[in-house]
Amino acid sequence: MIIRSLLLRHGRRALPKSTTPSGTLRRRTLTGSPSIQQQEQQQAPKNTLPSEIRDPTDRIAQDFAFFHHQKAHTQHLGTTVASHYRPHELVANPPRPQDITLELLMASQAHIGHATSLWHPANAKYIFGVRGQHDPIHIISLDVTAAYLRRACKIIKGVTARGGLVLFVGTREGQARAVVRAAELSGGCHLFTKWIAGSITNGQQILGACAKKVVDENDVSIPGFGDQLPLTAALKPDLVVCLNPLENYTLLHECGLHNIPTVGIVDTDVNPTWLTYPIPANDDSLRSVQVICGALGRAGEEGQKTRLARARQGIVVRMPSHGLNPPTDGQAERDLEIEERARLAEVAVQEELMIEAEAAAVEHVRQRRAVKDSEAPDAELAELAALEDGGSVEAAMFDRSLKRGQDEDEYDAEEDTLQSYERDRPLSSEELAEALAVDEQSGFDQDEFVSPDDAPERSDRV
Amino acid sequence: MESTILRAGFRRAITSSYSPAKRRVLIHHHPRRSYATPAEPIRAAAPINFTSDTNQFARSSGGNNNSNSEQDYERLLHRVRIVPASPSYFTATPRYTDDFLYLSSLYRKYQLLPRLAPGTEPRVAWKTLLEYRTESGEPVRQKGYAIMLSLLKRLNKIHTALLPVEVQRALQRYKRRIQPYLNRAKPIEIDQLGRARAVGRRKSSSAVVYIVEGDGECLINGRTLTEYFGRLHDRESAVWALKATQRLDKYNVWSVVKGGGTTGQAEAITLGVAKALLAHEPDLKASLRRAGVITRDIRRVERKKAGKLKARKMPAWVKR
Repeated sequence: MIIRSLLLRHGRRALPKSTTPSGTLRRRTLTGSPSIQQQEQQQAPKNTLPSEIRDPTDRIAQDFAFFHHQKAHTQHLGTTVASHYRPHELVANPPRPQDITLELLMASQAHIGHATSLWHPANAKYIFGVRGQHDPIHIISLDVTAAYLRRACKIIKGVTARGGLVLFVGTREGQARAVVRAAELSGGCHLFTKWIAGSITNGQQILGACAKKVVDENDVSIPGFGDQLPLTAALKPDLVVCLNPLENYTLLHECGLHNIPTVGIVDTDVNPTWLTYPIPANDDSLRSVQVICGALGRAGEEGQKTRLARARQGIVVRMPSHGLNPPTDGQAERDLEIEERARLAEVAVQEELMIEAEAAAVEHVRQRRAVKDSEAPDAELAELAALEDGGSVEAAMFDRSLKRGQDEDEYDAEEDTLQSYERDRPLSSEELAEALAVDEQSGFDQDEFVSPDDAPERSDRV
Repeated sequence: MESTILRAGFRRAITSSYSPAKRRVLIHHHPRRSYATPAEPIRAAAPINFTSDTNQFARSSGGNNNSNSEQDYERLLHRVRIVPASPSYFTATPRYTDDFLYLSSLYRKYQLLPRLAPGTEPRVAWKTLLEYRTESGEPVRQKGYAIMLSLLKRLNKIHTALLPVEVQRALQRYKRRIQPYLNRAKPIEIDQLGRARAVGRRKSSSAVVYIVEGDGECLINGRTLTEYFGRLHDRESAVWALKATQRLDKYNVWSVVKGGGTTGQAEAITLGVAKALLAHEPDLKASLRRAGVITRDIRRVERKKAGKLKARKMPAWVKR
């Protein structure tokens, strides 16, 4: 196959065949016993490409594959950088409650408060001192922060362990990812846009149309309540975590009216009495917010795990009354049918659209090709000129129409080949890595990569 | 009088004792009316099997499901809870928020893939805000949808040779069913008799023009050019495409033109002649463009507005 051979040629250039049989063995002897990290790195070349290659003949796709292949084979070389702050890791893998240390809080600037002139005096007990002469700021006492954060973690763990609903709210710019991640971990809800005033006090009007479901103790959805669910009251959170209380006074006020406990980050300019369980910390630094929100999310995750483990043993926390009646006859089947029908309709639409999209993509590729090689009209014109010198106008016309017919045939052939690319398309990263590995071991042999399905068709075409 | 009130109160007290502490829900449908004396015969409760299991009543029994299905449901009701179908429940637009989060996760995942050169990405007609609102059934805001559209446009820029399938699927959800940009104009062909047919339009006129190789004759609605157009300027502009390329004596023009006035008709013919001429000689495109006969002039009569005399003319100022 021409396509793969091209890639293989690149692969050879990227990784010349080593003279010694095993490079990995030599590396091991040099560094002593291999650490787990190194083993992981050695396995890394398995997933070289972040995406499949659709059109392996495309130059950019080839370059991209080559780049990733090289990266995968060279990234473990050189020195190892000591552990350092990587912003995305704080979101992807946030610290657990037991990982909270004063060092971590200090490193994430959780101790930095606001200018002393902006302070709220109720925060006096959380304030460690004042820093600076010209523009003094308050410094938050981190031992208090850690203690209050741990307390908040326990609360969230307790709420989720009893099947409660935790709502994470962070409406400042940049807080969205941390909020969504924490909600994902703790099986709760997230809000990173404006709090719609009245979502708790006037919930039926605002959230009445939002979908709900009935789940059992194992979090398995139970059909049969489709007729009753729209009639039940809008849900209220059992605990609200607010990362920026200053902008969400309405939310906290509504929670207060409905006896919903609140946890929140209290900077030195926030009134801590707005919240049930304040966590004194810096709410302006994204890093500090991510640490705190992540720890709270992890605590929720632990709570969920506890609850599910207990449910598996058959221990169920009795939930407050939900006002549901036993499902009426056949309602469960009706619910399932509605669900299935919606799913099937979506799948059908999706399939239809995908077919159209494939056609459009082929068309797009064809156009790009057509733009690239636009020498065809010139050849046609030259031929026409030659014809016009000799034969009559009618003959020229006839020949021209014949020529057009041939052109159409050519277009068909081009489309055929495009479809063959489509057929060969899923050249995934594994395949690529495999192909390259084989190239490394043995000599280059094209026929090895020809699958038995493809072979007869190719012979037909040739 | 007093005795009836007393009796009613007594009955209510007994009724409530049969369903003790039943919480009032927002809209409550009693399956059946309750009476002071229960309709069904009173049955004794099943004997209690005392065990150390703290949760023995909450669990559903393994066997005899058919006979005790109601009891099973009662037990089930103790175990279930109502939860939001989506974690975005409190945003009041959960579907939109979930869609947005999915698209942004796709963007994060594939942001390092190579992009198409600017201007070469496939043109797409995305769903309008109204369409999306109808589909999701949520009051999605203009700004929110604009943010989503910018994400979609960015994903659409991923190089075609490397576009992941999941991105393609996601993009497909937001494309309009009918993509006007995929329409291609039918190429003008020369028929057996050597004629090329083209349509030209200008203002409210439209002209159908046939061009055949010949010696420079021109018929418009059955009349010659000089008969049809009294104005010299119109005669010149009708065949300007041929004149500018010095092919006035090489082709015959036959045209049917309708609508509009003389200028419009003449310039509609211009456009038709140019398009038909291109079918004969495609290489003339550059010179025809230079002559200004390739582009359709889309200007139409501007509508008259209220408070104005014409489209823009203000009424004369009067002191009182």
